[in-house]
Amino acid sequence: MTDTLLIQIDRSEGSLQRLIGLIERRGFHIDRMTVTDTGAHREVRVGVRGRDSGRCVQVLSRQIDRLQDARRMAPSVHSDEVASCMA
Amino acid sequence: MSASSTAARLDTAPKTGARLVVEALEAQGVEIVFGYPGGAIMPVYDAITSASFKHILVRHEQGAAFAADAYARVTGKVGVCMATSGPGATNLVTGIANAMMDSAPIVCITGNVASPLMGTDAFQEIDILGITLPIVKHSWIVRDPADIPAIFAEAFHVANSGRPGPVLIDLPKDVQVGVAAAPRETSPSKDPARRIDPLQLRRAEAAIGVAERPLLYIGGGVRIADAVNEVRAFARATGIPAVSTLQGLGALPADWPANLGMLGMHGSRAANEAVQACDLLIVLGARFDDRATGKLAEFAPHARVIHIDVDAAEIGKLRDANIAIAADLKKALSALSPHRPRIEPWVERCVRDNANYAARYDAPGDGVYAPALLKELSEQAGDAFIAACDVGQHQMWAAQHCRFPSPFAHLTSGGLGAMGYGLPAGMGAKLARPDAHVVTISGDGSFIMNIQELATLKRYGIALKIVLLDNSSLGLVRQWQELFFDRNFSEIDLSDNPDFAAVAQAFGIEAFRISKREEVSAGIARLLAAPGPCLAHVLIDPKDNVWPLVPPGKNNADMMHGEP
Repeated sequence: MTDTLLIQIDRSEGSLQRLIGLIERRGFHIDRMTVTDTGAHREVRVGVRGRDSGRCVQVLSRQIDRLQDARRMAPSVHSDEVASCMA
Repeated sequence: MSASSTAARLDTAPKTGARLVVEALEAQGVEIVFGYPGGAIMPVYDAITSASFKHILVRHEQGAAFAADAYARVTGKVGVCMATSGPGATNLVTGIANAMMDSAPIVCITGNVASPLMGTDAFQEIDILGITLPIVKHSWIVRDPADIPAIFAEAFHVANSGRPGPVLIDLPKDVQVGVAAAPRETSPSKDPARRIDPLQLRRAEAAIGVAERPLLYIGGGVRIADAVNEVRAFARATGIPAVSTLQGLGALPADWPANLGMLGMHGSRAANEAVQACDLLIVLGARFDDRATGKLAEFAPHARVIHIDVDAAEIGKLRDANIAIAADLKKALSALSPHRPRIEPWVERCVRDNANYAARYDAPGDGVYAPALLKELSEQAGDAFIAACDVGQHQMWAAQHCRFPSPFAHLTSGGLGAMGYGLPAGMGAKLARPDAHVVTISGDGSFIMNIQELATLKRYGIALKIVLLDNSSLGLVRQWQELFFDRNFSEIDLSDNPDFAAVAQAFGIEAFRISKREEVSAGIARLLAAPGPCLAHVLIDPKDNVWPLVPPGKNNADMMHGEP
């Protein structure tokens, strides 16, 4: 199953590479991706799919949240959801 | 003209990027920079001769990164290392990865070729930003010298906020020599204050109140959050037994009866059995590392989990949490006030197991028994003890047998497991804490990986003490080959090692040998009393193994035990 993430990243050097590298390194395929430069930022819409059943998109989302130059545009994860990969 | 107006005029005068780098480091209160010069960082080295901070010239850039890492772990401040482009930068990589895996805040500064040459395969050009993307919290290439003050201020903030880690600033040479007429103002980053969810706190208190077999699982986050006092107060108030990860050792006093020691692959039997039996695991700044959990699916099979960590991405990564508190550990523990649970039978069982399974030090023979030596080393050094360990059997023996007064006293490459960490880490720690008994605990395999830093010890008179446990082999690999590869010993023989005491003496460092058990006590005393750097070359039995051991892929109840 492909999950779609919508992420805003800075236009700084390395920001796109950092995001793509993180997604692949954490065990996800990138099925599709579009990047739109809005002038102030870039908006990335990316479809991801875990390489195996142990990959959890909620965990990936929180790992993306740690990037200094990226912000998920979806609502932030609720604390109850934080608790479980199955949320 | 008054002195103050002169200072103001000078402060706004045009400055080179290199000068701005020095001022940015001074503005952060940097005391020591560990580094090594080279072509692409020469303008900065030209500027630092008038800096207020000290520069320590290491003999390999990896040593600079490890030393900065240890300086940061001991002080809680940001460590700084610096290197030139190309091989200088790539030599930092292992140290950066080490800092990332163990959440050590370091700022790494690299020179690079001039901007027009970047991307042309110029001499000593490397894409260090690209190479290090997976192993930094963040990184910058500076394109305008006017940005230097703001980028450096942000870099120090990012490195040491939230979950700490390494950051990298790449400085093209033209940016170092370029002049910034009006450096841009720094705008300190502001982290949104993270509110601790009171509902989760109350749920945690309720879970603790009804648990029959609760257990604290203490990780390196306790040191990083400076939450030792809070953890000790929590343990005292609740009476809940505790296990620690490699990085959490020292958080609780070693002589506390319900401190069951380290869990995991080389953990104590009491710790691992408690984890397997507990019905509530209270995880404090730990991340369910595989060396701690063994077979994850069978780890703590009866336990509900309360997970407290500043990094929300660690919660639910490997083990679902029933109660998740993504918050600063110090604040979260202060906000928790559970009733003391009625768990006397459980505590009695844990304390009894802890006593029954305690390590023995009555190994037969008159050869040096490394566990006993390390225990005595920590006892002779006392509360001033700080160990900087390398990686291998000696690292596990140190974890099992040393008494650490706090987690700040145990520096070890836990996540990356980088051989070669011990000597430069000890160097960084001793410079940070000259009052402490800082001792590098190394093995013959690890020590030779950064042996060149003996020259740094000599140059600066850094009174680091070194215990080099020499079993003439790559001991941990040999142990695995003995146990899991049918004794097919492959490339582990180091019987042609140099005379390490003679090597140290050639660097101008006092050194001596310990080869018999009867020499141990006096040898440790001599080592600790030496006024300068000193190395004790300790010969141990190549056949000694680290026990107990959970075989890879097994659950923590499947421990193998050997004789002392």
